[in-house]
Amino acid sequence: MLDYSRCKSIGVQKQGDNRRVVSGVLEDELYAMECEISVDWPSLTIESVQTRMKRFTTSRCPRAKEVFTRAEGWKIDSELDGKIKKELGRYGCRHMAVLMVDCCKTLARAELAREFRAALEEDPNLEARDFTEAFLQRHPDLKGYLQLR
Amino acid sequence: MILDFQMNSLTTVETLEKGLWRINQRSEDNLFSIEVTLEVKAPALDIRRAVLEVKRDTLGLMPDLSPLSEKLIGVRVGPGMTKIVRGVLGGPDGSDRAADLVLEAMEMLVNAITVPELRKAAAMGGVPYKAENDGPKVFLNDVVVGEDMVRKMAANPRLKDSCAAFRDL
Repeated sequence: MLDYSRCKSIGVQKQGDNRRVVSGVLEDELYAMECEISVDWPSLTIESVQTRMKRFTTSRCPRAKEVFTRAEGWKIDSELDGKIKKELGRYGCRHMAVLMVDCCKTLARAELAREFRAALEEDPNLEARDFTEAFLQRHPDLKGYLQLR
Repeated sequence: MILDFQMNSLTTVETLEKGLWRINQRSEDNLFSIEVTLEVKAPALDIRRAVLEVKRDTLGLMPDLSPLSEKLIGVRVGPGMTKIVRGVLGGPDGSDRAADLVLEAMEMLVNAITVPELRKAAAMGGVPYKAENDGPKVFLNDVVVGEDMVRKMAANPRLKDSCAAFRDL
Protein backbone atom coordinates (compact mmCIF):
# COMPACT_ATOMS: atom_id res chain seq x y z
CA MET A 1 0.00 0.00 0.00
CA LEU A 2 1.32 3.44 -0.88
CA ASP A 3 1.81 5.64 2.20
CA TYR A 4 3.17 8.81 0.70
CA SER A 5 3.98 10.32 -2.64
CA ARG A 6 5.70 13.57 -3.63
CA CYS A 7 5.88 14.87 -7.15
CA LYS A 8 7.94 17.86 -8.24
CA SER A 9 7.93 19.30 -11.72
CA ILE A 10 10.12 22.20 -12.78
CA GLY A 11 10.50 23.91 -16.14
CA VAL A 12 12.96 26.53 -17.36
CA GLN A 13 12.57 29.01 -20.17
CA LYS A 14 14.88 31.57 -21.73
CA GLN A 15 13.25 34.97 -22.15
CA GLY A 16 15.58 37.00 -24.34
CA ASP A 17 19.32 37.21 -23.79
CA ASN A 18 19.25 38.44 -20.20
CA ARG A 19 16.36 36.76 -18.43
CA ARG A 20 15.72 33.18 -17.36
CA VAL A 21 12.44 32.07 -15.78
CA VAL A 22 11.84 28.92 -13.82
CA SER A 23 8.49 27.61 -12.59
CA GLY A 24 7.98 24.70 -10.24
CA VAL A 25 5.18 22.81 -8.58
CA LEU A 26 5.33 20.46 -5.60
CA GLU A 27 2.47 18.19 -4.68
CA ASP A 28 2.29 15.56 -1.97
CA GLU A 29 -0.20 14.25 0.59
CA LEU A 30 0.32 17.23 2.88
CA TYR A 31 1.13 20.16 0.63
CA ALA A 32 0.70 21.68 -2.78
CA MET A 33 2.65 24.76 -3.79
CA GLU A 34 3.97 26.69 -6.75
CA CYS A 35 7.00 28.87 -7.23
CA GLU A 36 8.08 31.13 -10.08
CA ILE A 37 11.45 32.87 -10.17
CA SER A 38 13.00 35.19 -12.73
CA VAL A 39 16.76 35.57 -12.83
CA ASP A 40 18.95 38.13 -14.58
CA TRP A 41 21.56 36.45 -16.74
CA PRO A 42 24.57 36.51 -16.66
CA SER A 43 24.66 38.38 -13.32
CA LEU A 44 22.78 35.37 -11.83
CA THR A 45 20.71 37.71 -9.68
CA ILE A 46 17.20 36.72 -8.61
CA GLU A 47 14.92 39.50 -9.87
CA SER A 48 11.46 38.34 -8.78
CA VAL A 49 9.89 35.56 -6.75
CA GLN A 50 6.23 34.60 -6.89
CA THR A 51 4.84 31.82 -4.74
CA ARG A 52 1.50 30.26 -4.02
CA MET A 53 0.75 28.04 -1.06
CA LYS A 54 -2.05 26.07 -2.68
CA ARG A 55 -2.83 23.36 -0.14
CA PHE A 56 -1.48 23.27 3.37
CA THR A 57 -2.09 21.94 6.87
CA THR A 58 -2.52 24.82 9.31
CA SER A 59 -4.19 28.23 9.22
CA ARG A 60 -0.75 29.74 9.82
CA CYS A 61 0.95 28.26 6.73
CA PRO A 62 -0.08 31.12 4.35
CA ARG A 63 1.97 33.51 6.53
CA ALA A 64 5.05 31.89 5.05
CA LYS A 65 4.37 33.62 1.72
CA GLU A 66 5.59 36.98 3.11
CA VAL A 67 9.07 35.56 3.58
CA PHE A 68 9.93 34.22 0.12
CA THR A 69 10.40 37.57 -1.65
CA ARG A 70 13.43 38.12 0.61
CA ALA A 71 15.30 36.13 -2.04
CA GLU A 72 14.93 38.98 -4.54
CA GLY A 73 18.41 40.40 -5.08
CA TRP A 74 20.18 37.21 -3.97
CA LYS A 75 22.75 35.70 -6.30
CA ILE A 76 22.89 32.14 -7.53
CA ASP A 77 26.14 30.88 -6.04
CA SER A 78 27.42 28.25 -3.63
CA GLU A 79 25.82 30.07 -0.66
CA LEU A 80 22.31 30.09 -2.08
CA ASP A 81 21.01 26.67 -0.95
CA GLY A 82 21.98 27.35 2.66
CA LYS A 83 20.44 30.83 2.61
CA ILE A 84 17.15 29.56 1.18
CA LYS A 85 16.94 26.73 3.71
CA LYS A 86 17.91 28.83 6.72
CA GLU A 87 16.34 32.19 5.95
CA LEU A 88 13.29 31.17 3.94
CA GLY A 89 12.70 27.61 5.16
CA ARG A 90 12.89 28.33 8.86
CA TYR A 91 11.00 31.63 8.81
CA GLY A 92 8.63 30.62 6.03
CA CYS A 93 8.04 27.05 4.87
CA ARG A 94 10.70 24.38 4.50
CA HIS A 95 8.71 22.58 1.81
CA MET A 96 8.63 25.72 -0.33
CA ALA A 97 12.34 26.17 0.42
CA VAL A 98 13.01 22.69 -1.02
CA LEU A 99 11.09 23.66 -4.17
CA MET A 100 12.98 26.97 -4.48
CA VAL A 101 16.35 25.23 -4.09
CA ASP A 102 15.40 22.79 -6.84
CA CYS A 103 14.10 25.60 -9.08
CA CYS A 104 17.32 27.62 -8.84
CA LYS A 105 19.50 24.54 -9.33
CA THR A 106 17.45 23.48 -12.36
CA LEU A 107 17.68 26.96 -13.85
CA ALA A 108 21.48 26.87 -13.64
CA ARG A 109 21.68 23.33 -15.06
CA ALA A 110 19.42 24.44 -17.92
CA GLU A 111 21.99 27.05 -18.89
CA LEU A 112 24.69 24.41 -19.07
CA ALA A 113 22.43 22.12 -21.11
CA ARG A 114 21.49 24.95 -23.48
CA GLU A 115 25.12 25.90 -24.12
CA PHE A 116 26.11 22.23 -24.45
CA ARG A 117 23.40 21.66 -27.05
CA ALA A 118 24.59 24.67 -29.04
CA ALA A 119 28.24 23.60 -28.77
CA LEU A 120 27.40 20.10 -30.01
CA GLU A 121 25.80 21.59 -33.11
CA GLU A 122 29.10 23.31 -33.87
CA ASP A 123 31.23 20.29 -32.95
CA PRO A 124 29.40 16.93 -32.75
CA ASN A 125 32.58 15.30 -31.40
CA LEU A 126 32.86 17.66 -28.43
CA GLU A 127 33.73 15.84 -25.20
CA ALA A 128 31.14 16.54 -22.48
CA ARG A 129 33.83 16.75 -19.79
CA ASP A 130 35.86 19.30 -21.77
CA PHE A 131 32.75 21.36 -22.37
CA THR A 132 31.76 21.24 -18.69
CA GLU A 133 35.22 22.38 -17.62
CA ALA A 134 35.13 25.30 -20.05
CA PHE A 135 31.57 26.21 -18.94
CA LEU A 136 32.60 26.36 -15.29
CA GLN A 137 35.59 28.53 -16.20
CA ARG A 138 33.21 30.94 -17.93
CA HIS A 139 30.79 30.86 -14.95
CA PRO A 140 32.99 30.48 -11.85
CA ASP A 141 30.10 31.29 -9.48
CA LEU A 142 28.39 28.08 -10.61
CA LYS A 143 31.37 25.84 -9.90
CA GLY A 144 30.43 25.10 -6.31
CA TYR A 145 26.73 25.33 -7.03
CA LEU A 146 25.70 23.18 -9.99
CA GLN A 147 26.31 19.86 -8.21
CA LEU A 148 26.77 17.95 -11.45
CA ARG A 149 28.03 14.86 -9.65
CA MET B 1 6.84 30.17 -24.00
CA ILE B 2 8.29 26.78 -24.83
CA LEU B 3 10.39 25.23 -22.06
CA ASP B 4 13.91 24.18 -22.94
CA PHE B 5 14.76 22.23 -19.79
CA GLN B 6 12.70 20.19 -17.37
CA MET B 7 13.24 18.37 -14.10
CA ASN B 8 10.69 15.90 -12.78
CA SER B 9 10.89 13.81 -9.67
CA LEU B 10 8.60 11.36 -7.99
CA THR B 11 9.21 9.94 -4.53
CA THR B 12 6.99 7.23 -3.10
CA VAL B 13 6.89 5.56 0.29
CA GLU B 14 5.16 2.21 0.61
CA THR B 15 4.71 -0.28 3.43
CA LEU B 16 6.15 -3.68 2.54
CA GLU B 17 5.16 -5.21 5.86
CA LYS B 18 4.45 -3.77 9.30
CA GLY B 19 7.45 -1.61 10.22
CA LEU B 20 9.21 -2.04 6.88
CA TRP B 21 9.03 0.65 4.22
CA ARG B 22 10.37 0.97 0.71
CA ILE B 23 11.17 4.46 -0.52
CA ASN B 24 11.63 4.89 -4.23
CA GLN B 25 12.76 8.08 -5.85
CA ARG B 26 13.14 8.73 -9.56
CA SER B 27 14.62 12.05 -10.60
CA GLU B 28 15.05 13.04 -14.20
CA ASP B 29 16.19 16.08 -16.15
CA ASN B 30 17.53 16.66 -19.66
CA LEU B 31 21.07 15.66 -18.64
CA PHE B 32 20.67 13.18 -15.83
CA SER B 33 18.41 10.43 -14.52
CA ILE B 34 18.71 8.43 -11.32
CA GLU B 35 16.63 6.01 -9.28
CA VAL B 36 17.13 5.64 -5.55
CA THR B 37 15.58 2.74 -3.65
CA LEU B 38 15.85 2.42 0.12
CA GLU B 39 14.30 -0.08 2.51
CA VAL B 40 14.00 1.14 6.07
CA LYS B 41 12.94 -0.85 9.12
CA ALA B 42 11.39 0.17 12.44
CA PRO B 43 11.97 0.62 15.31
CA ALA B 44 15.43 2.07 14.67
CA LEU B 45 14.42 3.30 11.19
CA ASP B 46 17.73 2.00 9.86
CA ILE B 47 18.41 1.44 6.17
CA ARG B 48 18.41 -2.29 5.35
CA ARG B 49 18.79 -2.02 1.58
CA ALA B 50 20.04 0.78 -0.65
CA VAL B 51 20.26 0.82 -4.43
CA LEU B 52 21.34 3.88 -6.42
CA GLU B 53 21.04 3.41 -10.14
CA VAL B 54 22.13 6.10 -12.59
CA LYS B 55 19.93 5.72 -15.65
CA ARG B 56 21.42 8.52 -17.76
CA ASP B 57 24.49 10.67 -17.26
CA THR B 58 24.97 12.79 -20.37
CA LEU B 59 28.01 14.60 -18.97
CA GLY B 60 29.62 11.36 -17.76
CA LEU B 61 30.60 12.83 -14.40
CA MET B 62 28.99 10.42 -11.94
CA PRO B 63 31.21 7.94 -10.08
CA ASP B 64 30.22 4.30 -9.56
CA LEU B 65 27.70 4.53 -6.74
CA SER B 66 27.42 0.79 -5.94
CA PRO B 67 30.22 0.60 -3.33
CA LEU B 68 29.08 3.86 -1.75
CA SER B 69 25.43 2.80 -1.53
CA GLU B 70 26.45 -0.27 0.49
CA LYS B 71 27.80 2.10 3.13
CA LEU B 72 24.27 3.41 3.65
CA ILE B 73 23.23 0.13 5.27
CA GLY B 74 22.61 0.81 8.95
CA VAL B 75 22.24 4.59 8.63
CA ARG B 76 19.18 5.73 10.54
CA VAL B 77 16.42 8.08 9.45
CA GLY B 78 16.52 10.72 12.17
CA PRO B 79 18.68 13.43 13.73
CA GLY B 80 22.22 13.51 12.34
CA MET B 81 21.38 11.75 9.08
CA THR B 82 22.37 14.75 6.92
CA LYS B 83 25.96 14.74 8.11
CA ILE B 84 26.25 10.96 7.91
CA VAL B 85 24.79 10.59 4.42
CA ARG B 86 26.85 13.48 3.03
CA GLY B 87 29.92 11.91 4.62
CA VAL B 88 29.19 8.49 3.15
CA LEU B 89 28.04 9.48 -0.34
CA GLY B 90 29.34 13.00 -0.94
CA GLY B 91 32.74 14.62 -1.25
CA PRO B 92 35.29 14.69 -4.09
CA ASP B 93 35.21 10.92 -4.68
CA GLY B 94 31.47 10.57 -4.20
CA SER B 95 28.33 12.32 -5.38
CA ASP B 96 26.85 15.26 -3.49
CA ARG B 97 23.91 15.11 -5.84
CA ALA B 98 23.14 11.50 -4.97
CA ALA B 99 23.61 12.29 -1.27
CA ASP B 100 20.96 15.01 -1.45
CA LEU B 101 18.55 12.71 -3.28
CA VAL B 102 19.02 9.99 -0.67
CA LEU B 103 18.39 12.55 2.09
CA GLU B 104 15.23 13.69 0.34
CA ALA B 105 14.06 10.08 0.11
CA MET B 106 14.72 9.62 3.84
CA GLU B 107 12.85 12.86 4.58
CA MET B 108 9.81 11.46 2.75
CA LEU B 109 9.63 8.60 5.23
CA VAL B 110 9.46 11.20 8.01
CA ASN B 111 6.63 12.90 6.14
CA ALA B 112 4.85 9.57 5.63
CA ILE B 113 5.03 8.82 9.33
CA THR B 114 3.77 12.34 10.11
CA VAL B 115 0.64 12.07 7.94
CA PRO B 116 -1.40 9.98 10.42
CA GLU B 117 -0.50 12.44 13.20
CA LEU B 118 -1.65 15.38 11.11
CA ARG B 119 -4.82 13.52 10.17
CA LYS B 120 -5.53 13.07 13.89
CA ALA B 121 -4.76 16.75 14.55
CA ALA B 122 -7.13 17.77 11.75
CA ALA B 123 -9.85 15.42 13.04
CA MET B 124 -9.52 16.63 16.64
CA GLY B 125 -8.65 20.28 16.08
CA GLY B 126 -9.70 21.04 12.53
CA VAL B 127 -11.52 24.28 11.79
CA PRO B 128 -13.46 25.37 8.71
CA TYR B 129 -11.28 27.64 6.63
CA LYS B 130 -11.34 29.90 3.61
CA ALA B 131 -8.02 31.29 2.40
CA GLU B 132 -7.83 34.53 0.44
CA ASN B 133 -5.70 32.93 -2.26
CA ASP B 134 -7.95 29.87 -2.52
CA GLY B 135 -10.96 29.50 -4.80
CA PRO B 136 -12.91 31.44 -6.02
CA LYS B 137 -14.82 28.40 -7.33
CA VAL B 138 -12.94 25.40 -5.94
CA PHE B 139 -11.40 25.54 -2.47
CA LEU B 140 -8.50 23.23 -1.69
CA ASN B 141 -8.40 24.08 2.03
CA ASP B 142 -11.89 23.58 3.47
CA VAL B 143 -10.53 22.48 6.86
CA VAL B 144 -7.11 23.20 8.39
CA VAL B 145 -5.55 22.42 11.76
CA GLY B 146 -6.82 25.22 14.01
CA GLU B 147 -4.96 27.58 16.32
CA ASP B 148 -5.46 25.55 19.53
CA MET B 149 -4.08 22.36 17.98
CA VAL B 150 -1.21 24.29 16.35
CA ARG B 151 -0.25 25.57 19.82
CA LYS B 152 -0.32 22.00 21.17
CA MET B 153 1.83 20.80 18.28
CA ALA B 154 4.30 23.66 18.80
CA ALA B 155 4.95 22.27 22.28
CA ASN B 156 6.94 19.57 20.49
CA PRO B 157 10.52 20.93 20.58
CA ARG B 158 11.17 19.58 17.07
CA LEU B 159 8.39 21.75 15.67
CA LYS B 160 8.87 24.87 17.78
CA ASP B 161 10.19 27.72 15.57
CA SER B 162 10.64 25.29 12.66
CA CYS B 163 8.52 27.34 10.22
CA ALA B 164 5.96 30.14 9.96
CA ALA B 165 3.25 27.87 11.42
CA PHE B 166 5.10 27.31 14.69
CA ARG B 167 6.88 30.62 15.23
CA ASP B 168 5.75 33.17 17.81
CA LEU B 169 4.07 30.49 19.92
